[in-house]
Amino acid sequence: MTTVIETKSLSKWYGNVLGLSDVSLEIEAGITGLLGPNGAGKSTFMKLITGQMKPNIGGVTVRGEEVWNNFRLFRKIGFCPEQDAFYEDVTGWEFLTGLLRLYGFRPAEVTGRAARALEIVELTADKDRKIRSYSRGMRQRVKFAQSVAHDPDIIILDEPLSGLDPLGKRRLIRLVKDFQSEGKTIIVSSHVLPEIEAMTSRIIMIHQGKILAQGDIHGIRDLIERYPHMISVRCADARAVAARFVQDPSILKMSFGPDARSLVVETHNRDAFFSRLQSVVLETGIEVEEISSPDDNLQAVFDYLVVR
Amino acid sequence: MKPKANADFPSFGMSFRKVFAFFFFLGRKTGKARVFFLLGLIPIAIAVMVRIVMAGRSGDVVAVFNEILIVFFVTFDIVILSLFYGTSIVAEETEGRTLPYLTTRPLSKTGIFLGKYAAYVSLMFLMVTASLFVSFFIMNGHRFRDPMLYLTFLRYAAALGLGILAYTAFFAFLGTFLKRAILIGLIFGFGWENVIQYFPGSTQKFSLVHYMKSLMPRRASGGPFSILLFRLEPTAPAVAMVMLVLIAAVFLALACWLFRMKEYLFEE
Repeated sequence: MTTVIETKSLSKWYGNVLGLSDVSLEIEAGITGLLGPNGAGKSTFMKLITGQMKPNIGGVTVRGEEVWNNFRLFRKIGFCPEQDAFYEDVTGWEFLTGLLRLYGFRPAEVTGRAARALEIVELTADKDRKIRSYSRGMRQRVKFAQSVAHDPDIIILDEPLSGLDPLGKRRLIRLVKDFQSEGKTIIVSSHVLPEIEAMTSRIIMIHQGKILAQGDIHGIRDLIERYPHMISVRCADARAVAARFVQDPSILKMSFGPDARSLVVETHNRDAFFSRLQSVVLETGIEVEEISSPDDNLQAVFDYLVVR
Repeated sequence: MKPKANADFPSFGMSFRKVFAFFFFLGRKTGKARVFFLLGLIPIAIAVMVRIVMAGRSGDVVAVFNEILIVFFVTFDIVILSLFYGTSIVAEETEGRTLPYLTTRPLSKTGIFLGKYAAYVSLMFLMVTASLFVSFFIMNGHRFRDPMLYLTFLRYAAALGLGILAYTAFFAFLGTFLKRAILIGLIFGFGWENVIQYFPGSTQKFSLVHYMKSLMPRRASGGPFSILLFRLEPTAPAVAMVMLVLIAAVFLALACWLFRMKEYLFEE
């Protein structure tokens, strides 16, 4: 396979703070997951490969061309930023068509592409509402839509699943996989392992600005399984769910969140927990609003890897 | 493979046009545009009141109020408009964290900056000339048949337009590298400019407002009511025009260079 994105000794500092250190990577077509705790350097890496920042040392090339101040490359690249930021006074439709016009598409093409992008993120019905009135999930989806509306070969998604409900996450994961099957190169970042795992087995682990490991997720997961994993389940009756897990040998520790609507468990065996949770939900009919993995556990794994 | 050294140029025109259209549309939708539109109603309201209260008074009194209106435009309206729009060209993108939507498109950074600048200057010019047109012709309704009236209006509009061009370029330059550009801009616009313009000799030439005032039509009589031209030692209109264009060009060139070179980091 040919290399699409290549970084050589890529390093970036913010004053005295290290953002990224000596990162040399070759990224090929398909989905590559960038996994690391908050502040690990994921966004710095993404900003460097999208030309928003200039490296202090080293360089980035996309399809053999340097990125910094090479704006022509962006016809092929779609970027979904992490931050929840928009031109708030416009509607979803105006936002998308406005950004598409910046590519120089003809008006009919702009309309067609915007309509298609809104359709795939299921926002067609809400396209004429102002963005400021959108829910967090809708905002996340319109942000994703703007990154794919111009049909780029390379899609860079910075924490695209944050703020989405479980159903929204599943839909977006499916979409990302669809784009992969079209032969596109997708880089997706997250601090939540199961999210990355659901999209790809090819991951890059980043911590304190350095690449800790890269390759197939399964080897890395074995390592992670040695450490207790923290999972938060938000639902209508967290106590009822907790009662079902009291005798479960895979659970090391359980606690309730501040609003008593979320249950936080620590387990060595995530798969066993999720399998059991599925049964509990089916048996009790309790509606699960959100399942997430708080950062701390991943941080511990990364700290372990650093020491190792 | 390195990008060509002057890779900006072939599609600069396209970037400029697209960004101009985008922000000319977006600029009209913001709350800021509504506030400044309302600001433009102030001189209209003053003109209506003056016409009602001064009905039947001498032309000199009306002329004085004409000058008061122009003072409002020259020393307040266009300064505040240019300050808020000029500094926001970059600042609103960094503070609102929307800059990646522009810088990750196939647009030259120079095109982004100048396109947005041109869109905002056009919006401001429309706001100011609409307000000036209505208030000016309400005040001078009795002279509709005087062709000089139209020439005077055009001269005021041109002077204000050039003022917007120069002020906005200067404030846009401040906004590219200062975090608190508004504060510095306020000190410049309402401190420095307001004081320096009344200094005798060539010192007043260090203010932008001096060149705008030099372009204003002067009443033959001058007299005790000549508020606007108080202590003005005018520069020749052609020179004043060149100076305003030159100031705009220099600050725009600096701002574009900075915008191209600088990395903008967002505060979380």
